[in-house]
Amino acid sequence: MSSLSGLRALRALGAPGHPLLLLCLLSMMRSSLADGNLTGSPFTSLRLREEMLAKYSNLSSVIHNISLTEHSSVPVEKNITLERPSVMELQCQFTTSGDLNLVNVTWKKGDELLENNYPVNITGNTFYTQYMFTIINSKQMGSYSCFFGEEKELRGTFNIKVPKVHGKNKPLITYVGDSTVLKCECQDCLPLNWTWYSSNGSVQVPIDVHTNDKYVINGSYANETRLKIKHLLEEDGRSYWCSAAFQLGESEEHIELVVLSFLVPLKPFLAIIAEVILLVVIILLCEVYTHKKKKDSDDGKEFEQIEQLKSDDSNGIENNAPRHRKNESANQ
Amino acid sequence: MPPSPSAPPPNPIPPDGGWGWVVVGASFISIGFSYAFPKAITVFFKDIQQIFNTTYSEIAWISSIMLAVMYAGGPISSILVNNYGSRPVVILGGLLCCVAMILASFSTSVIQLYLTVGFLGGLGLAFNLQPALTIIGKYFYRKRPMANGLAMTGSPVFLSTLAPFNQYLFNTYGWKGSFLILGGIFLHACVGGSLMRPVDLKEHTSQSKNTIAAKEDSGIKKASKASTIGKINKYLDFTLFKHRGFLIYLSGNVIMFLGFFAPVIFLAPYAKDRGVSEYYAAALLSVMAFVDMFARPIGGLIANSKLVRPRIQYFFSLAVMFNGVCHLLCPLADSYTALVVYAIFFGYGFGSVSSVLFETLMDLVGAARFSSAVGLVTIVECAPVLLGPPLAGKLVDITGDYKYMYLASGAIVVTASIWLLIGNAINYRLLAKERKKEKGRRKRSASPSKETEPLSKSKHEELSVEVSKVHSIPSEKGREKERESNI
Repeated sequence: MSSLSGLRALRALGAPGHPLLLLCLLSMMRSSLADGNLTGSPFTSLRLREEMLAKYSNLSSVIHNISLTEHSSVPVEKNITLERPSVMELQCQFTTSGDLNLVNVTWKKGDELLENNYPVNITGNTFYTQYMFTIINSKQMGSYSCFFGEEKELRGTFNIKVPKVHGKNKPLITYVGDSTVLKCECQDCLPLNWTWYSSNGSVQVPIDVHTNDKYVINGSYANETRLKIKHLLEEDGRSYWCSAAFQLGESEEHIELVVLSFLVPLKPFLAIIAEVILLVVIILLCEVYTHKKKKDSDDGKEFEQIEQLKSDDSNGIENNAPRHRKNESANQ
Repeated sequence: MPPSPSAPPPNPIPPDGGWGWVVVGASFISIGFSYAFPKAITVFFKDIQQIFNTTYSEIAWISSIMLAVMYAGGPISSILVNNYGSRPVVILGGLLCCVAMILASFSTSVIQLYLTVGFLGGLGLAFNLQPALTIIGKYFYRKRPMANGLAMTGSPVFLSTLAPFNQYLFNTYGWKGSFLILGGIFLHACVGGSLMRPVDLKEHTSQSKNTIAAKEDSGIKKASKASTIGKINKYLDFTLFKHRGFLIYLSGNVIMFLGFFAPVIFLAPYAKDRGVSEYYAAALLSVMAFVDMFARPIGGLIANSKLVRPRIQYFFSLAVMFNGVCHLLCPLADSYTALVVYAIFFGYGFGSVSSVLFETLMDLVGAARFSSAVGLVTIVECAPVLLGPPLAGKLVDITGDYKYMYLASGAIVVTASIWLLIGNAINYRLLAKERKKEKGRRKRSASPSKETEPLSKSKHEELSVEVSKVHSIPSEKGREKERESNI
């Protein structure tokens, strides 16, 4: 705890523009270390050094908070994405109605127990604890948990990861001889570097841009990268991985490329054409058939009509009316 | 009182059944393709946009061009139908669409997509839409509103099946293969076209009693052929622009279409703007399409009833007003359930209007002139249909709130409905007056020739039981008078 207050003092002194002052304090602390006055361990001095390095290079400070109550049954988790080295301040607070003095708090990174000199503060019903550290490289990334032990252990976890890269969820379907563009992007983040791999099974082979102009990698903005593949062949249909490198680690995403030959959609197309031609031929044949039938019966009827009209004309117009009407109703 | 529509029944009395219902099925397919495809193809746009490296608005032009050409190609379609009948034109339309999609699958730039899918595809759809509507008028008279309502149901049914089908095709074959297979799917319009048998006219021409009338009929045709205006009118009937009913319909519809489609297009963005998640916003459109599917046959059924058919123009105007009122009330919807209720009512209104949209035109101009009428109507409607949504979008951009767009659309649609109501009320009254005059004139002309008239009159009474006597066409004199009364 005292080391922390010392750190706080350093921070209060503040500006990274006081190297002399810092050096003075450093030497002071080192001497006090030698005296064994500080309850700290080598870990503390390491942390101290990292803190000062952080201050010197003007790192961002990230603070995150988890609240737990005695009723929290599900482990509470918080996901944190970090791009750049930062000073982390993880805070846990625990509210209970029971006796707070019996509560035992521990911090762990994964399964590894961290040093037990973190500040603890009890205010009313709430138990505050805090863990501060600096993240500089990928080794410090991971899951940090605070444990409150009473009868049952309550746990809050901070998952610190690099930002996720987004590609495409669905496979990209292309045809032989086409060219296609595979795109990977990282929202709200700026990777240092992008790399593309192609994998056949488990082996990842980096993509060679320089051999021929089959592959072209370019990015419009730094948070986006595009891989253009020309003259696709069927062997090109495999998984492609884009990897974004940050200071604190790497983030990958894979895109599935499927290369089909033109015969694949051609078969259903020809099947449909065959079906349509068949239907049209059947329909037209049916029509010709019913037309013929009608013509034959019509010719017969016409003949009858003409015969009747010939006989009607000789009888006179008045007698026509009832017979003509009967003919009409028969034709309808 | 038997239904007495504004226009007389066509000269060969339509069969009203039998093969007609098969033709309704064929029209269902053609109308389905025509209206649903420009909307269903938008499923591909997001992915095509990335492949061709363009903005979304550039890709969306494909749909607009397709719709524009479909409407603008109306007169060409009408001329072809007037000369060759519906069947060859629909088959040609199906082949054009198929070729368009096959060519589109080989395209390498957006411009090529504009030309193939947009222009050629739109033309093919135009050759599908007009003949499908025309042939219903040739096959039906008494049950025509029902037939029209059923055929127009093709649009929502095809949209709900084509949209997920397109998504499936894209996931399996990519955009190239999808376009190829869609070309094959379009050929089914040809199947529908082959079902559209021309109406059999033999029964009437073979009877000796009618040969006199037929000869005199051909005499009139020869007279009109002589003048050039007559020649043009044989291809595309421009005299329709003197037709009172036609002008009322055209003007009312032009106003209506300005505010008709924008609410559909902006429903999902409006819902998202109100905080609804993307999935639920899309569900609103599905609800609307589902209700639309049932509203169309119901609308056809209502329009066919004895009570509504003589006053079908009022039914149309009221349906349009219903739509407008829905849009005016939409801004009041403050929760997702309220939006769903709006979608249901809107779907019902949209379906009702669509079911009688072309039936009312047929009712006004008659089936004989319908093919020219629909061509002229669609080319004029091209403008408001295309201008409506971008103008609405601009309104949203300027005011920053979708509410004003809905109020504006609602106001426009209500204005159109009032215009149609008043116009049609006047039209009905004038037509009733003309009919009375006609009756009087015929009674006077009937007295000198008692021997020859009764036979032909009684024959036509048999044929047209449910059609009022005034509309029977015994002689060429009566026919001329009918034409005059409609101008």
